[in-house]
Amino acid sequence: MPIRFPKFSFFRGLAFRYSLFFTISIMIILFFPLVIAYASSSVLLLLKAQKEATILTEQTITEFENVLQPTELVPKILGQAMENPNISYVEVLRIARDFVYHDPVVFGTCLAFEPYEYSKGNYWYAPYAFEKNGKLNTRILGSADYDYFKKDWYRLPKLLGKPVWTEPYFDEGGGDTLMCTYSTPIYRVINGKRLFTGVLTMDVSLSGFERMVKNINIFKTGYGFLVSGKGRIITSPKSVMNNQNILNLAKVGGGRETMVAIRSMLEGKSGFNEMDGFEAKKNPSFLSYAPVAQTGWSFGIIFPEDELYDDLYTFLKFMSWMFGISIVILMFTTIMITRRMTRPIVRLVAATHNIGQGDFHAKLPVRKSKDEIAQLTNAFSVMQDHLRSYVLNLQETTIAKEKIESELSVAHSIQMGMLPRGFNTPANWELYATLDPAKAVGGDLYDFFYLGPDHLCIAIGDVAGKGVPASLFMMVTRTLLRAKAIAGIPISEVMQSINHELCQDNPNEMFVTFFAAIVDLKTGEMDFCNAGHNYPYIVGPGEDIRQLKARGGLPLGVNETMNYTSEKFCFKPREILVLTTDGITDALNTSNDFFGEPKLASTLAAMANKNTKGLTDSLIIELKRFSLGAEQADDITILALQYKNSSETNAQPMQTFQLKLKNHLSELDNIAVNLENLSEKWNFPAKIVMEINLVLEELFTNVVFYAFDDKEEHEIDLSFMLVDAHQLQMRLEDDGKPFNLLEKKVKDVFDKPLEERQIGGLGIHFVREMMNSVDYQRSGNKNIVILTKNF
Amino acid sequence: MEISELKTNQCVIIGITGRLDTTNYSILEKKLMDLIEAHNDKILVDCAKMDYVSSSGLRILLMALKKITMAKGKFVLCSLQENIREIFEISGFTNIFEIYATQDEALKVF
Repeated sequence: MPIRFPKFSFFRGLAFRYSLFFTISIMIILFFPLVIAYASSSVLLLLKAQKEATILTEQTITEFENVLQPTELVPKILGQAMENPNISYVEVLRIARDFVYHDPVVFGTCLAFEPYEYSKGNYWYAPYAFEKNGKLNTRILGSADYDYFKKDWYRLPKLLGKPVWTEPYFDEGGGDTLMCTYSTPIYRVINGKRLFTGVLTMDVSLSGFERMVKNINIFKTGYGFLVSGKGRIITSPKSVMNNQNILNLAKVGGGRETMVAIRSMLEGKSGFNEMDGFEAKKNPSFLSYAPVAQTGWSFGIIFPEDELYDDLYTFLKFMSWMFGISIVILMFTTIMITRRMTRPIVRLVAATHNIGQGDFHAKLPVRKSKDEIAQLTNAFSVMQDHLRSYVLNLQETTIAKEKIESELSVAHSIQMGMLPRGFNTPANWELYATLDPAKAVGGDLYDFFYLGPDHLCIAIGDVAGKGVPASLFMMVTRTLLRAKAIAGIPISEVMQSINHELCQDNPNEMFVTFFAAIVDLKTGEMDFCNAGHNYPYIVGPGEDIRQLKARGGLPLGVNETMNYTSEKFCFKPREILVLTTDGITDALNTSNDFFGEPKLASTLAAMANKNTKGLTDSLIIELKRFSLGAEQADDITILALQYKNSSETNAQPMQTFQLKLKNHLSELDNIAVNLENLSEKWNFPAKIVMEINLVLEELFTNVVFYAFDDKEEHEIDLSFMLVDAHQLQMRLEDDGKPFNLLEKKVKDVFDKPLEERQIGGLGIHFVREMMNSVDYQRSGNKNIVILTKNF
Repeated sequence: MEISELKTNQCVIIGITGRLDTTNYSILEKKLMDLIEAHNDKILVDCAKMDYVSSSGLRILLMALKKITMAKGKFVLCSLQENIREIFEISGFTNIFEIYATQDEALKVF
């Protein structure tokens, strides 16, 4: 049978499994440092961003203050100066205009007076100077359309008595631009009294701040913005936001965190807050803010959170790629290394595969190194050598064994061939013998032969040992018996003579237990001698059973000078002499129990009414049932001789009846009618008649249906013979095809379920069950079935 | 052999008189198969007067039993003579067939 190796798959190979194992391990090992690095990086980034944003905020505010400081300082000084009566308005106005001209952010200044303060004729008087296209223009403000007394830049300083920054406004009719105004109240001291006379303003164009705010860049889309104390966006790079209320913008995109941050900013605090959305953008962002001193304004910087981590993400992406590529390279490398390491194993597998297929000369791969694989290869090499010599040995042994076995089988057939079989049974006697060898050649023997017309010699023996030597010894014994036994000479002398011959040349010290007898067929008298053999049984009718316990001497071949003695026994009618060997009593079952003498005796007693063949067959069946498939250890030999009732036979000469039948079913009636007549004449019970009728019908039908292939008429002979008052023998002869009904198996009639039962075997089953014995012979072109029925 | 047939409300009672053997089993075979084909699936065979049966006869009874069992019907025997019962026992058919001592007893099962 070819050896099958499981099919090799790459995914089950060491290379794949190792590399997978390494890769997964490394991935797990590297995962945690990566996560920790990511977490700490993001914290560091946030801190850095906060610091940057705060610094940028403060820088910007400083710039604003640098610009605004002169704007606040100049009107303050001029205002104080105007309290001096010696300084004229014109002078002040001139200084202020000069300042406007040189200052980069201030583009206009106005000195607005209380009604009729400047001159009795003018309700409004407010000279205004402003920069336009690099030139300084002058205009007098104040009219019914432009009532500056109602403007914040005039009202608030007068009301509060201190300088004020206005909210951003578009000054129509004034500066005509979006502006903020720093407005300082002016007082005149008259008669020791300090009286409010007007305001001096400095207009700051928001476009200047716009430029500064626009220059602020933080991260990708981060931006700065300036918001007034009331929350109005003064300037920002996003034009849609300008002039809007920051609280409204916060409500649009943000939630609670945004509101907290914006409120804190409007309260004039500084800080760094996270926002959950602002204006149109709903994504989280950061806000850094601080107040612009005195103005009440605040400056803030907003940048989205994801931009803060942009670099980190980019880095992580890069790292992931690197990681992935490294893993692939690692896997590839591991596979290559493992393959390289397992290559010798693969070669070894191929070589051992060949060895497994029976090629013991398959070349094993050569290893130069001294590693484990080299050792394995060496071990295989040694195993291969041993296997080779073992198989060679085995082949030689097998050939030798086969030779011996064939010789043994020849010896067996010679031995079995020597045993007498076909036997012309003498009148009034019935004899049956069987030998079932344990091994091919055994040491048991039986024999029977006529010594003249009236004497029969029977013998049974068991040579110590088995096999060819025992068989040869047995043949010698049998030959000697046949040569020495002569009618008229006591059996003891025959035994003595055989013993002498056997002892002459017996280098192996073999011996045989032997029982021999000469039976006078007329008188039923038996002269017997038992040389150390099992005691024979006498089975009489009616379960009467006893043993012939006479000892005639030691087994043959033991002692040359042994004197043997013989005994006499006289058969009573129907008594059976049963000779056995110890193969029966020593038979073992699977629990190692012996069949034993008591069981043999009881078995024989139960079969007292059977004939010799029935008794022998039943004993062997009982023995098989007992041993339950345990191996037969010894030869089993039985010889049974029965003496029939001579007086009965003599008084009633053998009666026979012949019937010639055609192979047609209508002859069944013929059989039934004749059987009915015979039963009355020969006096057998009705039950038997029916059984015989049934059996004959089954056999006859069988012959009619199956024995002849042609359609021609054949003759079937049926003869009845009344053997004695209690035994009927029938003989059915046909010239059809050979058919031995004894070989037909009927087991399936009972073992199979109803649906599968074959009816065919049933007839033969009836035959075997209902008859006491059934024999089959093929003689010439004839099938002969001999049936015996006791009653 | 003679075969009688009696249809009752419960079942069909078949009575066999004489010998049932190889020469005449086909008569019984035809009778039983005709009944089964006509959907009579409750059959009682009364063997009181049957004094001989061979394996051919047993075969017919077995066939009838198989067919009726397949049709989920009932096939029973009754009143077997002593020697016939022995043949049934030797063949092992007593384990396969429902056999009752008397016809009255048998009729109760339908």
